Amino acid sequence: MLQLTPQTIRIVNIYDDGTNAKHFTFEPKGFVHDKPIGIGQFFMLTLPGAGLAPFTYTSLPDENGRFNALIRKVGRLTENLFSLKEGDVLGYNGPLGNGWPVEQFEDKKVLIVAGGCGLAPVATTIDYLINNNRGESVTLLYGARDLGSQVLTKERARWQTKITLCETLEEGADNAHSGLPTQHLLQTIKEYGGLPSIVLTCGPEVMMKAVAKTCIDSGLQSSDVWMSVERRMRCGVGLCGHCYVANSYACKQGPAYRYDDYLSLNNKMVSTQQHQGAFQYC
Amino acid sequence: MLNHSYLLKDLDILKQHLAKFYSMVQIEKDANGEERWTDQSDPDTVGLFGHKHLPSTSPKGFLFAEKEALYKFDGETFESITPQVVPKVLFGVQACDLTAIAYQDKFFKQDPYYQKRRENILLVGIDCESPCTNGFCAEVKAGPHVNDNTADLVVSRLTVNGSNQLAEWLVIAETEKGQNSIKGLPLDKAHKAHFILRNRLLDKMRSEFADYSYINNAIEYLNDNAVPQHLWEEMSVRCLSCSGCTNLCPTCSCYSTYEIAEKQPDNVISETKAVKTETLRVWDSCLFEGFQREASGHNPAQQAAQRVERFWFHKFSDEYLTEFQRYGCVGCGRCEQTCPGTIGVHSVMKRINQECCS
Amino acid sequence: MVQNLVNSICPFCGVGCGIGLVATDNNIISVHPLNKHPISQGKLCAKGWNTAFGISRHGRLTHPLMKIDGKFREVSWQQALSHIAKSLKKFISESGPQSVGVISSARATNEDNYAAQKFARAVLKTNNIDHCARICHSPSVAGLKKTLGSGAMTNSIDDVGKADVIFVIGADPTENHAIIGGQIMQAKLSGATLIVVDPRQTRLAKVADLHLQLNIGTNIALLNGLLNIIFNHNWQNEDFINQRCEGFSELKAHVAEYTLDKVAKITGVKGEDLVKAAKLYSQANASFLAYGMGITQFVSGTNNVIAVSNLALICGQIGREGTGINPLRGQNNVQGACDMGCLPNVYPDYQSAMDQKVREKFTQAWGTEVANFPGLTSLGMSHQAKDGHFKGLLIFGEDPVVTDPDRNKVAESFKVMDLLVVIELSMTETAKMADIVLPAASFAEKQGTFTNCERRVQLINKAVNPPGEAKIDWQILKELAKEMGVPELMDWKDSEEVFHEMTQLTHSFSGISYAGLQQNNGLQWPCNEEHPNGSRCLHAKTFPIGKGKLIPVDHAPTDEVPDSEYPFWFTTQRLHFHYGCGSMTRKSPLLERETPDGLLFMHPQDALDLGLKNHQGVAVSSRRGCVETRVEISDQVSPGLLSMPYHFKEAPSNLLTNNAMDPGTEMPELKVCAVKLVPLPENQPPRSSELSDVGIGEQYA
Repeated sequence: MLQLTPQTIRIVNIYDDGTNAKHFTFEPKGFVHDKPIGIGQFFMLTLPGAGLAPFTYTSLPDENGRFNALIRKVGRLTENLFSLKEGDVLGYNGPLGNGWPVEQFEDKKVLIVAGGCGLAPVATTIDYLINNNRGESVTLLYGARDLGSQVLTKERARWQTKITLCETLEEGADNAHSGLPTQHLLQTIKEYGGLPSIVLTCGPEVMMKAVAKTCIDSGLQSSDVWMSVERRMRCGVGLCGHCYVANSYACKQGPAYRYDDYLSLNNKMVSTQQHQGAFQYC
Repeated sequence: MLNHSYLLKDLDILKQHLAKFYSMVQIEKDANGEERWTDQSDPDTVGLFGHKHLPSTSPKGFLFAEKEALYKFDGETFESITPQVVPKVLFGVQACDLTAIAYQDKFFKQDPYYQKRRENILLVGIDCESPCTNGFCAEVKAGPHVNDNTADLVVSRLTVNGSNQLAEWLVIAETEKGQNSIKGLPLDKAHKAHFILRNRLLDKMRSEFADYSYINNAIEYLNDNAVPQHLWEEMSVRCLSCSGCTNLCPTCSCYSTYEIAEKQPDNVISETKAVKTETLRVWDSCLFEGFQREASGHNPAQQAAQRVERFWFHKFSDEYLTEFQRYGCVGCGRCEQTCPGTIGVHSVMKRINQECCS
Repeated sequence: MVQNLVNSICPFCGVGCGIGLVATDNNIISVHPLNKHPISQGKLCAKGWNTAFGISRHGRLTHPLMKIDGKFREVSWQQALSHIAKSLKKFISESGPQSVGVISSARATNEDNYAAQKFARAVLKTNNIDHCARICHSPSVAGLKKTLGSGAMTNSIDDVGKADVIFVIGADPTENHAIIGGQIMQAKLSGATLIVVDPRQTRLAKVADLHLQLNIGTNIALLNGLLNIIFNHNWQNEDFINQRCEGFSELKAHVAEYTLDKVAKITGVKGEDLVKAAKLYSQANASFLAYGMGITQFVSGTNNVIAVSNLALICGQIGREGTGINPLRGQNNVQGACDMGCLPNVYPDYQSAMDQKVREKFTQAWGTEVANFPGLTSLGMSHQAKDGHFKGLLIFGEDPVVTDPDRNKVAESFKVMDLLVVIELSMTETAKMADIVLPAASFAEKQGTFTNCERRVQLINKAVNPPGEAKIDWQILKELAKEMGVPELMDWKDSEEVFHEMTQLTHSFSGISYAGLQQNNGLQWPCNEEHPNGSRCLHAKTFPIGKGKLIPVDHAPTDEVPDSEYPFWFTTQRLHFHYGCGSMTRKSPLLERETPDGLLFMHPQDALDLGLKNHQGVAVSSRRGCVETRVEISDQVSPGLLSMPYHFKEAPSNLLTNNAMDPGTEMPELKVCAVKLVPLPENQPPRSSELSDVGIGEQYA
């Protein structure tokens, strides 16, 4: 039987990490994770009196069970979350969903394209690859609106020397780094050692689709591209119905989708194919 | 099946027997002529049965509550709120609604709240004897006779020579729970002939349905991706996002959650100040524009056409067959009645058929 | 937990749909539609489906509250009522009965409203009794009273299905009267021709055969133009005009100057479309005309109604099934509140308060002297308060701080009153300003009757007990009458007794009883000896004033027109998901999720010109105030026109709206004013205009 009632976690640390974004460290209270957390999985946070929503792990639990999340203030729930202090308790359900297929990454050249807060769901992947001494096979193309909107400052500083990191800004960058990440994608592929074997992308859905298209046009298979799809959720375990992507639920089949699966899901519906949302970082 | 089949002269005997062990839920008619599933019904009240009496609201709410508390928080820890249940018998559920319950049983297999209620419910199904106003159960294999393994007990009227005077009821105990429920009730065994008669009545009844072939044609068009975008656009203008279809659909299962905080407004001085919160869930509708809208304002289903198409996709797509072995639509026709925009199942399927045929 | 089912009537708009309340553990958990209900037939709108949230026990007022040192404290009923009674008596003895008044509620039952006007007239001895019909259909009551003799919807809702042409002007029924809107869409599917006249591209306009997207505030020009076209083509119904109308030649001569070119220029509607509409409406067997706030909420509101009436009369599209002049009423019981005489100038059943005979009749029936001087409207009471002549006001279930025009002025007048008592379900913006707040029972917690827009009186039944110490409005008034020293005046034992008293004093309702309502799924008034089964269709043979009056009216500009300082047209609208001030619908997490806290509809071209992104914050100001809200880019509005719903206390459109008034009825021009707009920086959220918990007085002090 599924457990919808959350377990309790305590906030042990909060610091600012980008405009309207904070980095939270949580500690389990009265429980330990009984199964390992997969890279790219997510969890639900319950704010008593405010609601619940999915968030991603930016670090896996350490020896004390502590883990991190990068959270941007975008709505009422996160506004409430930002008013909390260290020591406050919250509800937690996790880990949930299917993460990235890191086991398939062995010896492969990995390109990661992230936009805005979309960097958070790939952070654990990058750390995983670095920890497995595979940093040199990783290229990260990270796009944000402007300097202030960039997140995971400490992490990027740590990664700087271990992986190939290329950052773009919509506003306030020099010519070589100005614009959307998709505009720099081909250049990045060319500069950093040619076509990757696998691409992970996370950010606005329109951006991810554009990334996938460019990669496929450059010769990759659609099955080599993976994306992490964001949806509103009310349970995280396939019951509430909110996170549908055609006939799948992002909380169960996703949040990481292989691009060909994603396409064949969406191609079932005429109206979804027709509709393209606006490109906006979150 | 023959092993656990019996004959019964008077359905009331069965009802009175079950009423000893279960709280009775049956279809009653109120002063305004409204027919509905009535909780804690007096077993002496004559219930309404069969095709003529499909209530506008299905018994879904007895299993998947329209609104229920999931858990509470006292400031330190979270505690589950388990539904308070008593054993209930749903007496006289029609085939379409039973098919829907079987569908939801699969969907909510792991849901503790649903299952807690489900375990305490005995389902007594009834074979319909004639098509109902908007029903097309035969077209989607949900009726008119109760599908196997969707009820604990099935009762079927064996009408002889078209006269109801000599009617005898065939009672089939389909599950162990059903068998246990009639233990101690002196019943004659049924014979093969009774089943043959039941099947003959079924065949006769099938022929009484109107021509609903447009439904299956439209299902095909839907699955072939052949419904043009403009038709979804046209139909979606008529969707007011009232949530009627999803509320009444016996297989719709989406819910939202919300919080209740026990707290007086700040401008009122009061004795009770302790903060306690409860998280509840409530039936939701994928036809609401806000259903998928994210906090950032981005909405993967911004257009009404997307939402309307997705709803019908969910009811009729082959994509769901692997998981549920059937379509999400059970042919009860309730959405046709409740839709203020005239885009219930018959209207939509007819329009798809017209559009794609021409 | 046992589920109980109780049938009732939806508490939102004036359509009057049937709902089944599902109660568990003395709490309404959900609502079922009723297939057998004659109007809704198993359908409901999003508001109706979400009724349970609006009246849930959570967030309800449960005890009388008295404001002491700026904070509310719980007090006993006895304390609260004796304080109110003492104060009212003091005001009356010092300043006369003109200094006190009652605002009743179009959401409350007929029984509550009857009690409210009786309390005002018999206990307080004042005609200062009003309710929110003032700001929705007072011009309908006044205009149609003049032309026909009766201000209600002439036909029945299901006549929509019997019409060949449906003519909707200044109404957005799929959002505001969704079940009627649905029936119109269905009628169109079944072959009826649909004409929509609206400055916005409403949902109905999208499905209509003909959408006349007129410039805002040009209704009379358009209607006179249609009349002129009809006369020029001889499309009028001569027989009907000869037998049933007077004033034809004056009208014909008057509209002659509304030539096609002139009207096209004023209204912005193509001449050929005007001709098409005129032909369709006049030549159809049965044309059903429906209108709403887009006709009434103008300084020319009464004249607009008269122009509508002229059109229907000269075409003879009235008095038969499938036709008629049909004002769509806003609240579940705004028809009833008017019928019950919660207006300063009329007693129940529109018996004139100025008529000595009527006063004598009620004096005798009630056994006490009644008020004998003219009463004030709600806005009149506000004005008098500012001049220091008005001291004490009871408000039942209304939130004028959010819903009335020019909020700052409304709030100031409440602030200077010596006693403001608000009787409410929850702590609304107006309640925050009160001296005393009394907890009221919701519609699900009492028995009584509502009258829908087709004049159908329908029974509501009690499904649960009121929370805490909450009481029914008429019970509160009964207690207060006792406290005022006249217990015998309002000593009813139940709502049926109140209703019975009312039927004894009226003609239109004299044939109605609770038993009859129960049997018939409601009855449409007039229901009396002549019409024992009620009346589906009014004016079949004659009008209450004999012949229908054709009255020439002229197009006049709105009070404000855009200029260089305030360059945009501004109008107000409602959303399908919300109702009035939102105090009930916004308690539903599902409805609350549908829309942001406030929004301003703007044409894509205007957004482009101003460099605005969708949902970007903007500051909108008029000559009266400023509101910050978000832009919603939409082709619903034409370039140069901005539209805003009024449901949101965070972004109250009524900080902007104009209180210039229709002279006869004091209907403010809520539908149009001029505004200017300043974009907020892209990531800056709009500032909320919601009042602090202690109300506007302290905030502004």
